[in-house]
Formats: sequence, structure tokens, C-alpha cells
Amino acid sequence: MISSKKMFAACSLFLFTLQLYAQDDMLKLLDSVDAPGKKYKSERTIATFKGSKIINVQTTETVKKGTMDFNITHNFGNIGEKSNGGVHTLYGLDDISDVRIGFDFGITNDLTIGVGRSKRKELIDGLIKYRIVSQTTNNHFPFSLALYGDVSYSPQAASVFYAGGQPEKQNDLHRFSYVGQMVIARKFNWRLSAELLPTFQHRNYVVGYVNPENKAEENNDLFSLGAGVRFKLTKRFAIIADYYYLFSEYRHQNPGFFDPLGIGFEIDTGGHIFHITFTNTSGIIENNYLPDTTDNWLKGGFKFGFNISRVFNLGGKKKWNK
Amino acid sequence: MVSKRHFLLSIACIATNIMFAQIYIASTCEISFSAPTPIEDIAGVNKVAKPLLNATTGDLQMKIPMTSFIFEKPLMQEHFNENYVESEKYPYAMFKGKLNDKIDLSKDGEYKTSVTGKLTIHGVEKDRTIEGTIVVKGGTIIMTSSFKVTFADHDISIPALYSGVIPPDAVIKFTTQLEPYKKETKN
Repeated sequence: MISSKKMFAACSLFLFTLQLYAQDDMLKLLDSVDAPGKKYKSERTIATFKGSKIINVQTTETVKKGTMDFNITHNFGNIGEKSNGGVHTLYGLDDISDVRIGFDFGITNDLTIGVGRSKRKELIDGLIKYRIVSQTTNNHFPFSLALYGDVSYSPQAASVFYAGGQPEKQNDLHRFSYVGQMVIARKFNWRLSAELLPTFQHRNYVVGYVNPENKAEENNDLFSLGAGVRFKLTKRFAIIADYYYLFSEYRHQNPGFFDPLGIGFEIDTGGHIFHITFTNTSGIIENNYLPDTTDNWLKGGFKFGFNISRVFNLGGKKKWNK
Repeated sequence: MVSKRHFLLSIACIATNIMFAQIYIASTCEISFSAPTPIEDIAGVNKVAKPLLNATTGDLQMKIPMTSFIFEKPLMQEHFNENYVESEKYPYAMFKGKLNDKIDLSKDGEYKTSVTGKLTIHGVEKDRTIEGTIVVKGGTIIMTSSFKVTFADHDISIPALYSGVIPPDAVIKFTTQLEPYKKETKN
């Protein structure tokens, strides 16, 4: 016969563990109740980049649903003396290479449409960006993918637009140019985000210049591959850079053309994002700068630029918390 | 022999007590926080947390997914998650505590009480005693509370530019309706 003392000890030990188990495990219960199958449900990675552009290249970020992003982008003149900069233009601050005023609307959280107007070529453009997939936090899907398209129209005076070569017949369609690209981005960790952008651009009208080095002729079509990166030094301060490699025989080894390259800083103040950028591009949107980047970083041909963006909620006061 | 029977009886009692410990789970829960600034209210609301209450022991536990705080401005929500609470690193806020008063939760009534336990936000655990009210009515329990969370307590830094603009703490309003937990049938 087991002594009652022993039995009591055994029972209480058993109950004691049970009690502990019961207390500690309420939240385990939660895991099963909270969201059935939640373990496999993945969440979208947020803030792969800040804003819809890094410096020159697009990102996979879109404008959020029901909001409008009003943005002004500004590129000053060349900083270096060898590229018409230097002290007499206050390192380019006297010049305006390009200014673009844009309005982007978030139709859904993944679809943005926008319009803009640039100083350079007086370009009026309409853009559309659609994010097909988002990277997820548990790497269920390893990257984000967006499609971007922009159609531009240049209303310049014919004498300016056709400068350098006259077509047999002028046509309003000449003034259109198009860019389409895929944006493939990945946030590797909180510090590092990077992306690649296979890009195609088509201009309806080009002057048939010839590269003096390799005799290649200018072409309406231009393929390029963009790359962009953000590296956070602190939680709120990052180095950003982007680059396009142009697959263009005409531009290759052509002393008049260079690949677009931007380097800058991103400062997150907690509510606003400031980009301080340096880029050899004059134009601000792809249809301007992809075919027409004629300044050389090595000769001081880079410009100071900045971007101001303000997001407005549309549709009045919604009962967001109901 | 009397003592042995006595033991067995009491053990049986405790055992039943534990095995059938009445666990309540939230049918609805709303956790809102607000930190008013002169420019705009920084405010969010979370409706997906499911607090659990052990009516027998008084244990109250909850796990709050940070990305489920909804803000009026989507951009604010992104800043909240990315820069302030860092949801990717610390996806949940947690509370594990115990009611300080023995309340018979099977009886209808209104009780003022408090819970003491550990509140974890932004990966930083903090011992807290939080006051609140419990209303029992027809088998459901409604808990409400309002308290403050100081950002610095949980290593949530306010950027220098906003110090003095964003208040040092947020007011949390908590309300939940709890119902007896039933094992869910598999669909």
C-alpha cells in the first residue's frame, strides 16, 4: 500500500506542473485560436524604399490608397567648373537643369497613376505603376515586383523640337516617347534594400546622329538596365545610389553621352523624408534622362538636387477607426 | 485513513478546478493609442488582439500584433511600424499579468480592480500595475482600462526634431469583451 504521504507528494508535484502549464500556456492556446493557419500567412514587407523614386530610378513603392502625393523635384546646374559650374554659378545653384511638378494618386495600395510636367523639353507625362507582388516578411515571397510605364509628350515649338534634323513631314505623334520597365526589389534587412530595373524606352522621333567613334546610328529604341540601392547607416539616415547601364551602340564610347548615375542621402525626420541628391542627369523623368544624359561625373558634371513630397488624404474625413 | 481520504478529496477538488479552469477569450477587443501633437493626432487602433483571461486564477494574457494598428494616415502607419515600434524586429506587444483582486466572475456586477504583470513593447519588458474596470453580465466579461505608456520606458526614441512636439507618452485605451473559451471544431 502506498503511503498517503508519498501519494500526496506525487499528486501535488503533478498538479503543480499542471498548474504552471495551465498558466503559461494560455497564449499557446491563442496561437491556435488567434488566427488558424496564421503561421503560414505572411505579411508584406514594408518600406523597402522611401517614396516612389530613389534618385532617378523608380522603386516598387506606390502611393497609398486614397492619398495624393504632390511632389516637386529640382535639379540645379553642374557643380564642377569644367562643366560650366564653379564659383560663377555658385556651383550650379544659379542654374536650373530641370524642375518637375507631379501629382500621383493611389487608386489602390498597389496601383498608382500620376501626371507631371517638366521644364526640360516642356515634357508633360502620365505614369502608371502597378505592384504585382510584394515581398513578405517570412520570405514566403522573396522580392517585390512592379511594372512602371510613362508616356510623355513634348509641346515644344517645332523649331526647337526638330532642331538638328528636319523630318519630311512634321507629325504630332513625333512628340511622344514611352518608357516601360520592371522593378524588382528586395529588402535584405533593415539596412539594405536593392533593386534592378530592366527598361525599354521608345521615342517616336530621333535625329539620325552617328557616333563618331563606332559609326553606330541613333535609334528610336533604347534598352537599359537600372540598379538602385539604399543603405541605412542609422535608423533615420541612409546612403542612396542608382545607376542605369544603357545598351546603346550609339552611346557606347560616345564622348557626348554618359550613363545616368545618382548618389545621395536620405534623411528621415520621423514624418518627412528628405533626399539630398547628386546626379549627372539633367532631366528628372526617364523619358528625359535615359537618352539625354550628357554630363560626366568625372568632369564635375553632376548637379545638386532635392525632392519635396507631401501626401494628402483624399475623400475627406473617413471613419478610419470604425 | 481519514487523512488520506481528505487528501484525495482535496486533490480531486483542485484537479477539477484546474482541468475545468474557466478560460475566457475575447470576442471583441479594441486597443487604441493616441499621442496628440499640435499639428495632428498620432493615433491608431488595433482590433485583432485576443486577450485571454483565466477566471479561476485571474491570469490575464494578450499578444498584440503591432502591424495591425490602423492609422488614419497610411504614411503615419508606415512610420509607426518602421521607425518607432520597429514591427519587423518586434512584431508583438505582450502583456502577462494577474488580477489583483479575487473577483467571482460568475456573478453579475461591476468591479473596480487592477492587474499587475509584465508589459512588453518594442522588445522591452516593464513591470506594470494597471487599473481598470470589469463588468460581468450574463456570462460575458467586459474589461476596460485607460493608462499611459511612456515611450522612453520601452526604448522608443523620438527624433530630436520632434521632441517637444510628440508627447513623451501615449494614452492607451483598452476595451474587450470576453466569452468562455470553447474548443473550436475543425472545419
